[in-house]
Order: sequence, then structure tokens, then C-alpha cells
Amino acid sequence: MYHELTVWSRGIIMDKEARDVSSCIAAAARALGLYADNVSDYIDDPDRTNCLVRRYARFGDSPIVDRFVYENPHPDWVVLVEETIIKAVNFLRGTPDGSGVLVINSAREPEYLLKFLPAAMQAKLAKFVVVDAVGLAEQRGSSPWMFVRDLGELAYDRMSTEGAEERLAIGMGIAAPLIGALVAASGGLPVDDVASQVADRDAMMRGVERHTVIEFPRPAPSGGPATPAPAVHAASAG
Amino acid sequence: MSVRGTRVPAHLQLPIAGVTPPPTEKDGQRLFPTGNFRSFRPVYKDKTPPCNNACPTGEQIQKYLDYVKHERYLDGYLTIMEDNPMPSVTGRVCYHPCETACNRAAHDEPIGIRSVERFLGDYGLALAEDPIAGTLPALNGTTVAIVGSGPAGLACAYHLRRRGYSSVIFEALDKPGGMLRAGIPHWHLPEEILDAEIAKLLGFGGIEIRCGVRAGQDISWDELRSYPATFLALGQDVGRRLPVEGIQARGVTGALEFLREAGLGRPVQIGRQVLVIGGGNTASDAARSAIRLGGGEAVIVSLESEDELPIVPEDLEQARDEGVAFAPHTSLTKVLSSAGHVTGAVVCDARLKKDASGAVHPELVPGTEREVSCDTILVAIGQIQQLEWLPEHLGDHGVITADEHGRVEGNVFVGGDVMRGPSMVVDALGDGRRAARDIDRLLTAQEFQSDPPVEIMPYEGLNSAYFRHAPRVEAPLFPAAERRRSQRVEVTLAYSREQAIAEADRCMSCGVCNGCDNCYIVCPDVSVMRDARENGHYSIRTTYCKGCLVCVQECPTGCLEKVPEMDFDDPAEVTRMETAFAPYDGAHAEQSAFTRHLIEETIAEYDATRRQAAAANGKSTTHPNGDSGVSQ
Repeated sequence: MYHELTVWSRGIIMDKEARDVSSCIAAAARALGLYADNVSDYIDDPDRTNCLVRRYARFGDSPIVDRFVYENPHPDWVVLVEETIIKAVNFLRGTPDGSGVLVINSAREPEYLLKFLPAAMQAKLAKFVVVDAVGLAEQRGSSPWMFVRDLGELAYDRMSTEGAEERLAIGMGIAAPLIGALVAASGGLPVDDVASQVADRDAMMRGVERHTVIEFPRPAPSGGPATPAPAVHAASAG
Repeated sequence: MSVRGTRVPAHLQLPIAGVTPPPTEKDGQRLFPTGNFRSFRPVYKDKTPPCNNACPTGEQIQKYLDYVKHERYLDGYLTIMEDNPMPSVTGRVCYHPCETACNRAAHDEPIGIRSVERFLGDYGLALAEDPIAGTLPALNGTTVAIVGSGPAGLACAYHLRRRGYSSVIFEALDKPGGMLRAGIPHWHLPEEILDAEIAKLLGFGGIEIRCGVRAGQDISWDELRSYPATFLALGQDVGRRLPVEGIQARGVTGALEFLREAGLGRPVQIGRQVLVIGGGNTASDAARSAIRLGGGEAVIVSLESEDELPIVPEDLEQARDEGVAFAPHTSLTKVLSSAGHVTGAVVCDARLKKDASGAVHPELVPGTEREVSCDTILVAIGQIQQLEWLPEHLGDHGVITADEHGRVEGNVFVGGDVMRGPSMVVDALGDGRRAARDIDRLLTAQEFQSDPPVEIMPYEGLNSAYFRHAPRVEAPLFPAAERRRSQRVEVTLAYSREQAIAEADRCMSCGVCNGCDNCYIVCPDVSVMRDARENGHYSIRTTYCKGCLVCVQECPTGCLEKVPEMDFDDPAEVTRMETAFAPYDGAHAEQSAFTRHLIEETIAEYDATRRQAAAANGKSTTHPNGDSGVSQ
């Protein structure tokens, strides 16, 4: 068993949220006795507003040998902390065909969002997961632009990037429901074990319960029958 | 030191070594398309300025003010004429709902729109040849009947002409113009101006006015209905009678009738002590004309208080300046006469009361009766129209009923005072315009449609920091002491060219791009593009725009707004980068080749410049380090 998680987000305004997702997943895996890496502060430039940033985690039941390769070459779990990233970049580059679990933070209909994924990208998906993380998170401050923090807290966050100590709890705000939807839809880690690493457990559990999944059928072997249409279902416990 | 014979490696032959072109140069932005930073997209979306929305004719006021600001008067005149056929008239008599709605009132003072409109209207009348004529389509052979040559009828005829229809207007009076001539005094709207505006319309061809033809008397309902379409714009020119004792005495007359006779140039008899009964604009005009023609005094007797009088505020102020007196909260109860001629009146205190149905009636205060002396009484308590010649079901207390599109029945439409009751010139002009549109729809078998809802720009949507406070340029007035002696001296005078420009320059262009270039200047990413400094010529280069929204924040007019990027759902418009910081897979590596290519181009240009300079100096070299021989 081995998974690579790449979390895409936007500089400054949602940098911590991305970092929290990768940190909590890696911490939970490590606590379960798995081998895990978390690259929460590297490569991308988090101090440019709205700039695309990535955070990486990977875990498995065997030692991770390519420890000095920071970017995930074959991410099978991908999280988009902000919805417009679905239009911005090929976040499924390197994802093996038919194995990707893509989680997107959006209040829009999954069918609407899928319009932005070309066939080549959809071919890499196993599950397309939509969760309204902003709606499920504990709202703090007054600005929806800053999501769950105000400018004062954001200033502290900027100091905590690039390896500095976190000043706020890990796994809060929109990160919590995103983690919940990811864990529930992927099934790769026990929900309770991940929840023990998340500061806002209630918000995470709301993400576990309230998300929509579009399942993509496994790709047919070469020369096999045509693949059926994807199936849609909402999280059952809601 | 000579370099003859020296070979310099290619990579060192750089006039500017190792410089990545800045984004503003050539294709430099291809290196870093930052459009995927964006979660909101700036979008140019014009709204409706409140002045445009308030104007019954739908004049594009912001647009022509902008033209005047830039001294493009002809464009301004043509813009007005799209909606209003007689700006010289409305520029004098309109009650300017546009100025009442103007957002500038919340900033300092509203724009003097009416005076600028008059400036443009007079500019158009002064042209040797009207520029509209050449833009009109050929006549299509269909003639529409119009009853009444007042503002509604003339506007309908004009807008029908713009659509290729002929019209024939039946006018009951000897001269065309309806209430513009027979209800508005010369000192408010000079006859020459009205004649010029009507002559301008007749000059377009296809509009015929038959004066002295009274509907119901000289032309029947059935004859009117036999036209492909008919527009009823009769107005309301019959004054309501006051049911008080002695009202039959000589010297008691309707204010409308008095104004009509004076307006048509007929002799009128007016005394030196005039009571005007009623509190509206007609009462004000009658009182002011009575002072001019009789040389005496005039008192407006009204049920309303002075503050409540339904008179256009500046007219009320001018009336006061001219010496018109007011007897508010007062009612006429009896006319006193001697030998059949009025010698005085009995008045008493009264209030205007509304009953449960909304109808107003006077409530007299017993015991307050008193006599006042007068030799003329003008009654201005409202007006109606005689509609006995119409089928009974169409008339209702002096007005003609119609549906929401102004359609009476079949191919007959109605507008102006005879539809809405006593109202303003600009309301009638608007009715005429809408009637022409709907008649065209009827005759071309199109569906009638209501106007779509508009988004009106509020003051709060503007970036008011960009607008310096500037006082309104008030229209000059003829001195009150002199103008009250003449029926022909115009009270309100025109803006000078400089005044018109200064006033137009105060317009904040609410919600409409006016090409200020602010977005173009403030964009930190050179992502606002334009080919001309004009509305409609700006665009956002979405490949590079980061969505920082500085342009939206700094747009003075509020025409730029932020729209969620996800609302743009055309997959073909998605610029997806292969990696976070390069336009496509492997582009990091390709950037060096791309940069190298640009630098090679730069070197080639540099060499070409040197060659040309050397050739101009009679020298033979091409490159300072080349082997083709350099003179040192």
C-alpha cells in the first residue's frame, strides 16, 4: 500500500489550509505505524497572493526510498483547496490512469465542475469528490476572501511558513472538512485515526458526512468493452 | 585596441548579456502566464445611470454629457436625437427627473442636465442642415394616423419616421404643437424655438400635419381606425369647471384657455388684480403670464401649503421673484360680481383632504370666510378631454384607457395626457416613442414585450475619491424686475459653451465606462488592453491577469466588476498550465531556448542598427567583433 497526496492551494490566503491537510494525513499515517513523509514547506512560493502552491505527503507500508524527491511524481490523492484551480493547471500530471481521488472544495454541482476537466484528465480519476468546505468550516473573522481567518491571524500564518513554528492549531478551518471528505471517499486511512490529528474534529466529521462523489469505472483493458458512464452518489450519512 | 581577426564566441556576442525580457517586451509574458492565479475575473459591464433610467424618453444622458465634455457636440446632438426629437424644447421646459435622480446630488449638487440638453438642442437647430435627415431609412409606404400634434404626437411621428413609416397628424388647432404652444407661455418656450423644432421634423419628409382637423368632428373614429395603425395623443385641453356661486361672471376664465389664447397670439383680456385658483404648474404659468400681460398683481389660491405646491421648484422660485403672491390653505367659495363682471371673491381657510378612495377634496373651515377684491379669476384646477366621439367603453373620466403597452384596442394606441392625465412634456415624448416602437411591432407581426429590467448604478458603487467636489453651474436668469414686464423675454438663459463643458465635466459617468484609462494605468500586470481610449475597447488579457482586482477597486465609474472565475464555463477559454509555473510540460527547459531566441532577435536588431548607422557614416562594418573589417 502506498499513496501520494498533493494538495494544491493559493499563496498566502490558503497556504496554511493546504499545509494542514498534508500534515494531518502524514501524521495520522505515521501514528498508525506506516512510513510517511510530509513536505509542507518547500518548492512553491507561498508569499505571493493567489499564487499556486503545493504541499506533499506520501505514506505506505514499506520504506520510502526516494526521500529527496520532494514533488510527488505519481499523486493518486489530489486535493484542490480552492475551486478555480480546476481550471488552472494539470494537477493530475503523473497520476496513474483510473486511480486518482480528486477532492475539490466547492459549493457547485459536480457535473458543472467536471466540465472543466478534459477527457485526458478524467481518464486518470477513480473518484471525483466535491465538498463545500467553506460552508462546513467554522467561520471566523468577517472576510470570506480570507475564509476562516482575519488579516491579523493571516499575518501570523505568514511567519509560520517556510519551516517556522505553527502559531495556530493544525487541522482547522476549511482544512478540516477537506480532510474528512478525502479520508471518507478514499478509504485509505481510518477516519477516527485521522480525526485524532485534526484540531477541529467536528468540522472534519461534517466533511466525512457531507460530500458528493462521482465514481469513475476502472479503465477497460486494451481491446475491452467501452467504459460505462460515471456514477454519482452523495455521502450516505448526512 | 583593434579586434580585427579576433573570433569572439557567439555566446559572448551579446549587447545585453543574459537578460530575460521584461513582460512588457514583445512576447515576454509568454514566459510566465499568471492567469491561473485568478479566482475572480474583472469584467467590463456597463450599468444604467440613474439619470438615463429616470428619463421617460430614455435619453442616453451620460453618453451625451461625455461628448460635450470632449467638445464633440455633433455626436452629442445625434445621441439625444436617438431618443428625443426636440431637445431644444425639453432643454427649456422639462421638469428634469434626470437631475432629481442624479447621483451627483449625493456628492455635492446634481448635474445641470437640462441646460446641457438645451445647449445641444440649440446647437442642432443652428446647423445649416440637420444631420439626422441623411441617416433616416427610405419610406416603406405605410402611413400611420396620429391625433394631436403635441409632444406625444410629434415624438411618435418622428420615431415612426426613423423606422421608415409615414404619418399624418390631425391637429384641432390652427397651429401645430398642442400644449407646447397652447399651454406653455412664450417666456418659457419661445414660439420660434417650437416652430424650428417642428420645421426640423417636417423637413425629414414623411410627416404631414393637417391643422384645423378636430377628431370626432372633422374626422371620424371609423376613418381613424381605417389606417394601418392610429395613435391617439389628443392631450387634455379642457379646463375643469369650479362649481361655486357666481362662477359665470365675466372675468372668470379657465387658466388653460387663457394660456392657449395668449400662446396662439390672440388678444386676451386680463385685469390688474388676478386670482389664480389651483396650485399646479398651469396655475404658476397663468399667474406669471397675468402679471406680464396685465401689469398688475396675481395671487395663487391653493388648498396646499406653499411647500406642497406641485410646481417645479425653480419655477416656484422664479414666480416668487416676479412678485406672484400665494394664498395657501385657501379655497374660493363665491365669486362676487357687479353688472355681470367679477369684482371680488369670497375665500375661506381650507385643507386638502383625501378620502378613503384616494380622491382629494377641499375641507372648508367654517367662520373663516372673507372677501378679497379682484377683477380676473383664472381657474386652474385640472383638465380633461372631451371623448364623446369615441366608443363609450374607451373613455373614462376624460382619459382613454389602455393596456400596459398603451394599446387601446386592435391597431389603436394612446399616449400623453389623454392616457395618463395631466403630466409633463417629457412623459408625453416618452409615450410617443414607445407607441412608435409598438406600432412597428404590430405592423411587422412581432410580439409586444415589456422593457427588460435594468441594473441602476447607485452612488455607493462609484469610487467617489476620484471626483473632486465642484459647484453646479447654475443656468443664468433674466433679471426678474425686467422679465416680469414682457411676455416674450425668455426667463432662463442658455449655458455658454464653456459653461456647458464645465457642467458636463462634472458627470461621474455612473456605471458606464468613459475611457478614463484608470484600469489601463493601474494594472500591475499589463493585462488591461485597449486599441482606443473609448468604451468597449478595453479588454482583460485573461492569460496573464492574476485577478488582483486593483482595476475593479480603482474604477471610478463602477463599470468594472469582479465575477467568479468559475462562472466562465466555456472549456475552450480555459488556459491550463501543465505545471504550476510553466505554460506546458517541459517549458522550464524550453524557456531558455525561447529566451535565447528573443536575445538573438535583439542582437540582430542591434546589428542592423549599427549597420545602418555605419552606412550613413560611409563606413563598411557590420559588427564590432566581426571579421568583416572594422575601422578603429
